[in-house]
Amino acid sequence: MTENSSPGTRPLLHMDGIRKTFGPVVALDGVDLTVGRNEVHGLLGGNGAGKTTLMNVLYGLYRADEGTVTLDGREVVVREPRDAISHGIGMVHQNFLQVDTYTVTENIVLGTEQPSWPSMDLKGQAERIAELSTRFGLSVDPLATVADLSVGLRQRVEILKALYRGAKVLVLDEPTTNLTPQEVDSLFGSLRAIVDEGMSVVFITHKIRETMAVCDTLTVMRDGRRVGTVARRGTTPTELAGLMVGDDAMVSRVTEVVTAGMAAPVGRALKADAYAAGNIAPERVVVSGLVAHNDHGVPAVDLSLAVRGGEIVGIAGVAGNGQVELAEALAGVRATAAGSVSLDGRDLAGSPTATWLDSGVAYVPEDRHRDGILPSESIVENLVLGAQRGRRFRSGPFVDWRRARQHAETSIRAFSIKTPSASTPAAQLSGGNIQRIILARAFSHEPGFLILHNPTRGLDIPSTQFVYDRTRDAATSGTAVLLVSEDLDELTNLCDRILVVYSGRIVGERRRGEYDQYELGHLMAGLEESA
Amino acid sequence: MTTTTAPVQTPPRTETRGGRGHALARQVVSYVVAVLMAFVVAGIIIAVLGHNPFDAYRAIVTTSFKSGFGFVETVHKWVPLVLLALAFTIPLAAGKYNIGGEGQLLVGATASAAAGILLADLPVYVLLPLVLVCGVLAGAVFAWVAAWLMDRFGINEILSTVLLNFVSFGIVDYVASEVWSDPAAGHPTTIPIGEGGLLPLVGRPPMHLGVLLAVLVAAATVVVMRRSVPGFELRAVGANSRAAQVHGIRVGRVAVGSLVVGGALAGLAGAIEVAGVHGKLIEGMQSNYLLLGIIIGLIARGNALAVPFVAFGIAVLEVGSSAMQRSAGVPSEMVLIVEALILLFLLFSDVVGARLRRSSR
Amino acid sequence: MNEVTSFLQLVVTAMVPFILAAQGTMIAGRAGVFNVAQEGLMMLGASVGFLVSLTFGGNLVGLVVAGLGGGLFGWFLGWVTTRFRLDQFVIGLALFFAAAGLASLLYKVVIGVTLKPPLIPTLDDLSIPGLSAIPLVGPVLFQQSAMVYFAFLVSGGLYWLLYKTNHGLKLRSVGENPKAADSLGVNVARTRIWCSAAGGALMALAGAYLPMTYTGTYTEGMVAGRGWLAIALAFFGGWRPQYILAGSAFFAGMEVLALRVQVGGLDVPHQFISMLPYVATLLVMMFALRWARIPAFLGRNYDRESRTSH
Repeated sequence: MTENSSPGTRPLLHMDGIRKTFGPVVALDGVDLTVGRNEVHGLLGGNGAGKTTLMNVLYGLYRADEGTVTLDGREVVVREPRDAISHGIGMVHQNFLQVDTYTVTENIVLGTEQPSWPSMDLKGQAERIAELSTRFGLSVDPLATVADLSVGLRQRVEILKALYRGAKVLVLDEPTTNLTPQEVDSLFGSLRAIVDEGMSVVFITHKIRETMAVCDTLTVMRDGRRVGTVARRGTTPTELAGLMVGDDAMVSRVTEVVTAGMAAPVGRALKADAYAAGNIAPERVVVSGLVAHNDHGVPAVDLSLAVRGGEIVGIAGVAGNGQVELAEALAGVRATAAGSVSLDGRDLAGSPTATWLDSGVAYVPEDRHRDGILPSESIVENLVLGAQRGRRFRSGPFVDWRRARQHAETSIRAFSIKTPSASTPAAQLSGGNIQRIILARAFSHEPGFLILHNPTRGLDIPSTQFVYDRTRDAATSGTAVLLVSEDLDELTNLCDRILVVYSGRIVGERRRGEYDQYELGHLMAGLEESA
Repeated sequence: MTTTTAPVQTPPRTETRGGRGHALARQVVSYVVAVLMAFVVAGIIIAVLGHNPFDAYRAIVTTSFKSGFGFVETVHKWVPLVLLALAFTIPLAAGKYNIGGEGQLLVGATASAAAGILLADLPVYVLLPLVLVCGVLAGAVFAWVAAWLMDRFGINEILSTVLLNFVSFGIVDYVASEVWSDPAAGHPTTIPIGEGGLLPLVGRPPMHLGVLLAVLVAAATVVVMRRSVPGFELRAVGANSRAAQVHGIRVGRVAVGSLVVGGALAGLAGAIEVAGVHGKLIEGMQSNYLLLGIIIGLIARGNALAVPFVAFGIAVLEVGSSAMQRSAGVPSEMVLIVEALILLFLLFSDVVGARLRRSSR
Repeated sequence: MNEVTSFLQLVVTAMVPFILAAQGTMIAGRAGVFNVAQEGLMMLGASVGFLVSLTFGGNLVGLVVAGLGGGLFGWFLGWVTTRFRLDQFVIGLALFFAAAGLASLLYKVVIGVTLKPPLIPTLDDLSIPGLSAIPLVGPVLFQQSAMVYFAFLVSGGLYWLLYKTNHGLKLRSVGENPKAADSLGVNVARTRIWCSAAGGALMALAGAYLPMTYTGTYTEGMVAGRGWLAIALAFFGGWRPQYILAGSAFFAGMEVLALRVQVGGLDVPHQFISMLPYVATLLVMMFALRWARIPAFLGRNYDRESRTSH
């Protein structure tokens, strides 16, 4: 563990001995963090390591059980976000906290003091925001309604919220999740501009590549503890990977997750030669002229594609380009306006969702809690969900709960679900275990077509590796797999073919061996293929 | 506005050292404590009003068991209470609020009375089933109107079921005052239905067989809700309608179905009141069953197995309330306050229990 | 000409309970609290307003006390759902029953059973000089009781509050995205509780108005479902004060029409006429919801430390 702080300069932010528990779960176990002036400080760790929790404590969304926070030499008490804001701490969360119906200006000034007599006039504030946005390379129209903006622009609004309030410390939580590589570069440029003007940035991420690109100092967290702080120049990706994972034996096993996006994919053998040998398996899933509408009735998807048995096809794109509608349409959850979706020769378009499930379509949704589980019900019930009319759990008009329970016990073992018992309500489990339940449900019926949407979002490293392994297992056993993901590293690691989607249309296709993240980013941004 | 999680939940089945038996015992204890505390608080209010709480409570609790007459009255009161409570509880399992129990009861009663009057000469083994079936169907259809408005136009079912209650009052008033009015009665009432439409009586003092019917219906409801496939789908919709939909359950149909079944049960209650208790349609026969049914459903925390027992307890309190007014001079409204207090203490015991569990770990 | 004027005058008078109860529903709803106890709070307001006016000999006292009582119930709803996160509908229903029961209990305790029910003075008409002389519109709008002007002022005031002030910006954000509001330092709990209390107060005032208009008496069923209709009106008006004000004319119009038809002796059984407002409301709702923009978090509780709320 190497410490890096130039002697004589007082650090801007110092968090000391922070401890936070949620009931019996210890999320932070006496964590220290020191952020210097004018620096981009990376907070690196897998999901569940405690990075976001630590910053939520700093920002006042959580209250620590123990520990102190010192800002600019003075100890501060932060009990509410309002305190954090007044002390100059700003936070950009992973999921943007914006009121969709408000304009950019309204979202930015929300919560600040504004004169309201005889009525509130935000024209002056809009001008101030425009000036801020040009200064830091974050241009956005102050009068636009936020709901009409792209993800990248909405993120600028989030950052401007902090800058408008005169933040001294800006915390960004996984800010690159929904950005194209080009947008990421633009963001990093803005961060440097922000730091040059005298602020410091805390950059939370689980991607080693990003920290190496933009951070000056890195702090690695694991299991709620700080395990190391290094200067960027003085470390290597391997060292960081080791710190993130801890157990050396595990490092090689979860290598691909941790070193995602590094120069060469490690681990799994390339299948490029299999492709060159000429399309071994027949097409199992054929999507032809599929048109699906979004929730406002506007067409969001218009494409055709095919997936062979044993193939993992990826859908790359920036969030908001029809991925949700595509995944749901292919899962039979969203009605199709036109076109056909055939699995093993049978066209399912227009059939009720239950028919899709019976035909062998399995769907792992992006929003686990909202779409994937019954939170108040036990694991047993959650595994029966979707299969209650099938032969496995049904005897006559009744559910065979004994058989269901046996199935649950088996699944818990097979999928390593960490739970007190099969009767535990699903809501009490961690994100990784909830995803295991969803996978157990998807796999228990030997699906012909498996659709995964951002399946590893928010999962810790072992769970992420688990998902990757199971996905490959499915492919090996002949399932047609479609992986819709906004994580290019994940896609380039797992997929045999990647289709780039923009505005609901396929704008490019690349095979394994041809993957270039910048090229994919180019396509994802809707730019034409260069000749 | 539809929530994706169940509005009323039995306290989460947390796994503790004792396992399921432990959790069950804790639930029973919370009920007992809530009842005791409600009695204590109400007792204080009674004392403040200048009456003797012990006399009052003795009257309430013993009336149902002191005489055969009291018992039969209690059991007769239990029938509409348990049916209306289930009419509220079944849609609640799917996350829907059926506040239309009294309208569905009245419409069922009207249809039953209509059948009983129009076909008054038919023999009992034809007329009685007809009377009951008409009540069930009418209640189901009346609830279906609200359900359809909810499914097709997104109209909040609390609003539509309540508005339909008011419509039903008009219907009953019309039928009892104009169509088959009994001129001798001082209050809108119909002429009696044919003898063949009346439920047979057993025992001394006589108890109508609608009681047996209600017992069967309650038992069937428990079995269906816990063990059958539709019951599972119902609970899944209530737990997370979006996830249920993603996994192939036809949420709209389940929601509509739950309201229709609720209406059918309320309609049955109306039919039994006509065929077993009054023998005719009387304006105001719905009494305060809607209110009590909802309170029972909430006290039972949506658990179909608990509903009949809670309903019996409420029936005992209700029958005792008039005795309490007579012998102890306490206004009968006190009973309603006791019932509301039980509900209140139960709701708070959930909160307290959750806090204790969290801090004891 | 006179027929039309007196009809319109009656409509405006009848609009008041709808306006107040619906605006009360709206202001609580814009902060995310869906209060369904209007009917009970109106009954309580009517009962308390009547009894207090009777006891202290003045309508204003009755209105104030009724308003405070309704505010207390509204405060309770806001507090219990914010602090303990209990289901808003369940608590609302419980409050409805409690308020309704309390209304009749209080009347019974104070008045008891009498052959000749007591009366309170009805509200006087307050003519606005000059404006009330305008032909047709004058007497309709400017020759009304103080409560009518109050209802209009409240509607205007709420519009100004919601859309022209910083408080309104914060208030609306609590109902649309409480987590966003919380993260920027807006006090979500306090906003919800205050709005719920204000809503309850308006609902009770709507009820207190009833015995003070028309006859000056209190009867058990006098609210007659207006509280439930107010919920419909809140949706019908898209949860916006200006459209609620306009929409209340429809509901009041139906009520007055039903009365006229009954008295006018049309050959339709009076029971069906009395059903008309409810049926018409249902019909109207079938189309109203297409344009109603409902606050995103209406009826949903907010938990800062919840793992599932994004």
